[in-house]
Amino acid sequence: MFFTENTPFMKTIIWCLLLSLALLSCSEDESFEPIIDNPEIALEIPADFPSLNSSVEANLPTQYGVQLGEKLFNDKRFSADNTISCASCHIQSNAFADNNAQAIGIEGRVGLRNTPPIQNLAFMNFYNWDGSKLRLEDQPLVPIITHEEMDSSILEVIDKIESDPEYQDLFEKTFGDENITPERIYKSIAQYEYTLISANSKYDKVMRNEEGVNFTESEAQGYAIFQEKCISCHSGALFTDQSFRNIGFPLNPDSNEAGRGRVTGEPEDYMSFRVPSLRNIEYTAPYGSFGQFETLKEVLDYFDNGVLYADNLDPVFKDNDNRIPLTEEDKTYLIAFLKTLSDVSFVNGN
Amino acid sequence: MKYLKIYFLAITALLAFTSCSSDDDDAVANDVTLTFSNTFGDTPIVLGDATSAEATVNTSDAGQVHHFSEVKYVISNIRLVKADGTEIPYNINDLDNGATVINQANPETLSYVLNDIPVGDYAQLKFGLGVRSDLNTLDQVSFPSFYALAGANDTEMMWEWGTGYRFTKIEGFYDTDNKEMSIHTGSTITDAPDGGFTQGVDAYRDITLDLPDVAVVGNHAPTINIKADFDMLLSGNAHTITLSTGTSMSDNATPNIHTADQMVKFVDNLGGDGTNDLQGMFSILSVEN
Repeated sequence: MFFTENTPFMKTIIWCLLLSLALLSCSEDESFEPIIDNPEIALEIPADFPSLNSSVEANLPTQYGVQLGEKLFNDKRFSADNTISCASCHIQSNAFADNNAQAIGIEGRVGLRNTPPIQNLAFMNFYNWDGSKLRLEDQPLVPIITHEEMDSSILEVIDKIESDPEYQDLFEKTFGDENITPERIYKSIAQYEYTLISANSKYDKVMRNEEGVNFTESEAQGYAIFQEKCISCHSGALFTDQSFRNIGFPLNPDSNEAGRGRVTGEPEDYMSFRVPSLRNIEYTAPYGSFGQFETLKEVLDYFDNGVLYADNLDPVFKDNDNRIPLTEEDKTYLIAFLKTLSDVSFVNGN
Repeated sequence: MKYLKIYFLAITALLAFTSCSSDDDDAVANDVTLTFSNTFGDTPIVLGDATSAEATVNTSDAGQVHHFSEVKYVISNIRLVKADGTEIPYNINDLDNGATVINQANPETLSYVLNDIPVGDYAQLKFGLGVRSDLNTLDQVSFPSFYALAGANDTEMMWEWGTGYRFTKIEGFYDTDNKEMSIHTGSTITDAPDGGFTQGVDAYRDITLDLPDVAVVGNHAPTINIKADFDMLLSGNAHTITLSTGTSMSDNATPNIHTADQMVKFVDNLGGDGTNDLQGMFSILSVEN
């Protein structure tokens, strides 16, 4: 119909050109490219753990999201002078805390508080020692902009990483295109952190009745004392009831500190901090909101000797002469038990 | 016929001149300038360091002398209200184009021009002291200019741990031995992800000021002169505040406000309590048409 032996040469050429163009545009049509498969990672929820924070549902960890989050977590370009990444203070072998009393940022700047560990955060309802953040995705911006930590800005970070082909690839695989936005950065870091679940300590194995795993005599004694004197606050599978309490620890002289009181404005929250999880406590010395205690022994000595009085001192102390009485033997057994909360596979990244 | 032509020419010329004149009533919008005078009572604040002889000294109702080395605050969410009640919002969801940091040390910042205000007679001015909580997220992508303005070293108006802006930043000295005072206010209000609960305090305050004279936007661009009387910081409608240095729960002066409980008292004094007092330290000095 279109082409016969009588078709003019030019008409043929033109049709050929049009056909080629049509074919070319078809091959560039992105709807023909396969969609990258980015499966969700099923989080293994340990037995008896509390429910997930509802923001996990809105940001379920995916294969590439977690990979991307881990890469961002370890990237020193997040800091103004490219010396500090999240991993600089959140060190795996310390259960993603560190061994400094107060966190140290760029140029040796000393921060307000002790670095919290990153473990089982998917099951927490509050983040930071004062519970200032309720969504894990809202936390990463804080150290990025804080003068004593990374002293940068999210746009400064994006500027540094956006032409990195590895990031372009991971953002595309995770989110469908190469666009690097603040929200995508926070979400992928949170996805990575949600996967950091620790529930494989000796204690866990004993509770699961695993073959050949038993408490020693000391550990068993320690567990009994723990259940008598500690469990009311350090309760449940997370070893924290996630409440905020003033337990009369030595006070941070920095007047920026007011505990949860600076978030809520409630007098009863003054110098109240979230009950810390005792999981992996062996790895996260020093202890206290600003690292007041070098060792677990020092903490237990302090409880026994008596804590600082305050109007809002927690009843556990206020109603008991400001102390938790512990004999030297009690303390030895307790520390033996607390060490059973160490999850070697977690800190080794197995 | 000849005269008709002349008349036509004359009328045409007249019309031409009339329409070309800038004095016609066809303006649809004009500027409104807001000026902020930061005072102790009726005395303009002169800033100074601890031992400054020039700094303006004020005495609070509690009897404490004090002077300032720094005064900064955020104004946003500006709305002008016409005599007939129509409310004209000024870029109220855009911190880059609708918010500013008033900085006593920088005279340029004491004037803020509102562009393209529709012609009309305005009887009321409303604005926010601070940033509304829905905008208080340090969104550097949406509002890069305001982020730079509020985060730059010389303003330090970012509240880092709260990932929001500092609404006011007042540094100074009190008592005869010049103890440091440092009053920062900001919001910590946060909702749980499932909406289950809300925590924190909202330090944003809405201010409503009746204009003593109508501000006429039309041929001319009016100026509204506002007074921010910082005597009210310590001697406010809401609270009489005594500054004290220390780290206990009732200490409030040094070197930073650390409990939102104490901070809220300063917020109520400066910005009103949000219900009965919608003025705080602000009042209209004059309207210039």
